[in-house]
Amino acid sequence: MTMTAPLAEDTKLGPKAGGLYRHQNFATGLIVGILSAVIGWVISHALLQSSNWGSDMVVTVTLVSWVVGFNIGIGSFNAIFRWSLGHDEDHEDQLYGAGVGQGWKRYFKFCTDHKVVGTQYLVLVMVLFGVGGTLAMMIRTQLLTPNSQFMSPETYNSIVSIHGMIMIIATIIMVSGPFANFIMPIMIGAKDMAFPRLNALSFWLVVSAVPPILGSFLLGGVPAGWTTYAPLAVQAPPAMDAFAITICTFVLSVTVAGINTLVTVLTMRTKGMTPGRLPIFVWGSIIAGGLGLYAMPAFLMAQSAMITDRVVGTSFYVAMQGGTGWLYENTFWIMGHPEVYVILIPPVGALIEIASTFSRKPVFAYKVMVSGVIGIATLAIMVWAHHMFTTGWAPTLADPFMLTTELISIPTGIVFLCMVGTIWRGSIWTRLPMYFLYLFLFNFIVGGITGIYLSDVPVDQYFHGNMFVTAHFHYTLLGGGMIGAAGAVSYWYPKMTGRMLNERIGKTAFWIIAAGIQITYLGQFWEGFQGMPRRVANYAQIFQHANDMSSVGAYILMTGWIVFLYAIISSWRHGVKAPANPWHAKSLEWQTSSPPPLENFLVDPVVTSDPYGYGEDDLAPQRQPQPVSAEAGSTTGGAH
Amino acid sequence: MSVTDHGHEHTGYFEGGGGYHDTPQEKHRKEHVAVWLFIFGDAVFFMLELFFWFYLRANNTAGMWRGADCTAQSPQSIAGGGPTATNICTDGLGNPITHEIATAAPLHTLAIAALIIIAAAFVWFAEVQARQGGTRKGVTPLLGLGVVFVVAAIVWQIVQFQILPFTTIQGAYASTFEFYMGSNIAHFLLALTVGFGLFNRSRIGKYEDGRWFQVHLSRIFFVWVAFSSAVLALVTVLFA
Repeated sequence: MTMTAPLAEDTKLGPKAGGLYRHQNFATGLIVGILSAVIGWVISHALLQSSNWGSDMVVTVTLVSWVVGFNIGIGSFNAIFRWSLGHDEDHEDQLYGAGVGQGWKRYFKFCTDHKVVGTQYLVLVMVLFGVGGTLAMMIRTQLLTPNSQFMSPETYNSIVSIHGMIMIIATIIMVSGPFANFIMPIMIGAKDMAFPRLNALSFWLVVSAVPPILGSFLLGGVPAGWTTYAPLAVQAPPAMDAFAITICTFVLSVTVAGINTLVTVLTMRTKGMTPGRLPIFVWGSIIAGGLGLYAMPAFLMAQSAMITDRVVGTSFYVAMQGGTGWLYENTFWIMGHPEVYVILIPPVGALIEIASTFSRKPVFAYKVMVSGVIGIATLAIMVWAHHMFTTGWAPTLADPFMLTTELISIPTGIVFLCMVGTIWRGSIWTRLPMYFLYLFLFNFIVGGITGIYLSDVPVDQYFHGNMFVTAHFHYTLLGGGMIGAAGAVSYWYPKMTGRMLNERIGKTAFWIIAAGIQITYLGQFWEGFQGMPRRVANYAQIFQHANDMSSVGAYILMTGWIVFLYAIISSWRHGVKAPANPWHAKSLEWQTSSPPPLENFLVDPVVTSDPYGYGEDDLAPQRQPQPVSAEAGSTTGGAH
Repeated sequence: MSVTDHGHEHTGYFEGGGGYHDTPQEKHRKEHVAVWLFIFGDAVFFMLELFFWFYLRANNTAGMWRGADCTAQSPQSIAGGGPTATNICTDGLGNPITHEIATAAPLHTLAIAALIIIAAAFVWFAEVQARQGGTRKGVTPLLGLGVVFVVAAIVWQIVQFQILPFTTIQGAYASTFEFYMGSNIAHFLLALTVGFGLFNRSRIGKYEDGRWFQVHLSRIFFVWVAFSSAVLALVTVLFA
């Protein structure tokens, strides 16, 4: 066995290591981005000879210039220029790119280390949830009373739209960003992602996508709802251009990230990491990545056509000129429903890791569970039109889409039962991650069952336009997805930060969140049963009790998330130092230090058994996994 | 999970001579998978472009695919006889459409596709040369010719924009056709970036000593670009 000394973070590099990267960081990104935006604004304004500084064309050129400029400023495109010129990076450039010797500053640079990118994503997700959550509180405050004057209906509509899209962006990356970047490569024994520079690019693209959507409030707002249906969105103020540019940029990010995830798992598994030994979270990551690769181009197509309709006068969605709003709706939901599973599958994968680790049991029916997840992903691309039952599009297709939608409950049920089977009669160690698993199981039943109601065409006719739908998808995406993400944070926190998450504060947050979810969204189900339409700023008196319940629940829920955020931040600074394997887990990420060194392992691991080999003699959590010799098990199938 | 630390030497990423990671062979493997995944994502977008074309053409909403129904039928019959029917057949500025718009000249559309096919062919020949151990002098000119033809395709595409017999606002056919042209240019610019990089790297000897894999990967991408451009050209010519 030969060991290589880990590359220390304070390794001294030459004065020219990194080249241009030495001079680039978040600040240069901002400066170049803003300068580019100003130049784009001036040029487009001059060329159009327009007196309207905020015309669609001017806004679009300005914001595209911002996105391109920011990414040039931070160094996203350095590599492609160097490649084109034949100036390949040398050893020291690569070390500099990975953040060696830069301390905390590497978190504000175009850093290629997957652990830095994962941490950057985690912080970004928390910021996005903070913004989206604040907007949610404004919505619930408006709805406290029937004729509230807290904000105008126009502002309310915009806030609903921006809240929706920011939360969709945040939930898509909430697990696949931090954990598929930080944890997944370690889980398969890789030293980094397959394409570290693309990894950093995917992160900084999301960062550059955020200002346009936030700036939309200054551009007249987006009154068309988060789905931005045409032709309403075609007629919206220039803020809609900003909204669409955010989406197009985000799509590029997700596409790049999806390719990177898939290539990493397909080509970089360590020796012995056969497909049958892949942790479920890895399966979840690649299936979500593949599904995203299918879904996201549809989002790009829908929004590209939206931009051209608005900016250059094409007529994809304007009926008077030969277009049709149904084209947008179809394209949007061809993306929209798979995207739900792009959001949900990674957290479910993380929760299954938690279930096995804290039940000290192997994953129940591993192959069946993986098949179930693949089945979900496959059916997810065949159900999109159930979102359009009430639009009048192709009524003869309603029955087939109802059938495929109901069919998807079968693989979903299989995965759910496998999860329950994993903890069934286990030697359960009830730590914070398990709390979140239990809450997920409860919430997902509610969200899933109500989804079956909505797949039924006659029932959907009644519920589709009212708050029942809002409650359903919040139970699914927040009660399921975000709770899964919270479980993932509490599970992998020691590995990412090197410190233990404060469980006392974490459990306090958990109980507040659990109560807040039930009060908020059961209140919204009540509103739905009463027939309250969604997306309204003012409502009839009869809905007030249900709305008050929901709003009070939302304040409780927000309080819970703030407490959880406090636990994360305070533990990061003052938490107890974490050992390498605090949960005595068997998967590969726990066999290295917390946090792992650059390149993750001092010795390339060779895997000789599956990651869930908790035997009957292994019920006590005190037992540490012991290395065994390579000859003791199969070592076939590795990529290296 | 049981792991062993026996007999598997740690080979740091940052110690290999083949770039950021690994050996050239390992890089080839990764980038090969990545190129196909990229093409998959691009193909989804491409299929949606075709979907847009045929969906709008089949619907012919308000008779405004190419404005044909505005002359073939009375405005009232198009709109079901409603009182606002006379306003239906208008362009994006509200001007009445009084005739079916002409289609784009097939010569230009097909010529652009032909140029990019020729560009792809040159990159393919370059790959064959490189695989067979061709010298820098053998491979570089072929890549250079590929770049020249991509530039020619871009220029011709821009020229076609200038001479179209319709404008963007004149109905769904015009919109979709011009969207296709924009999509073509985006593809061509990407191909130009890749092609220029290949040419330059080949010129300074980066693809000697058997390191031809980037030419191979680029050939796959160029063929995809040529194929998609050809399909778009045929669709616009045959199904206008």
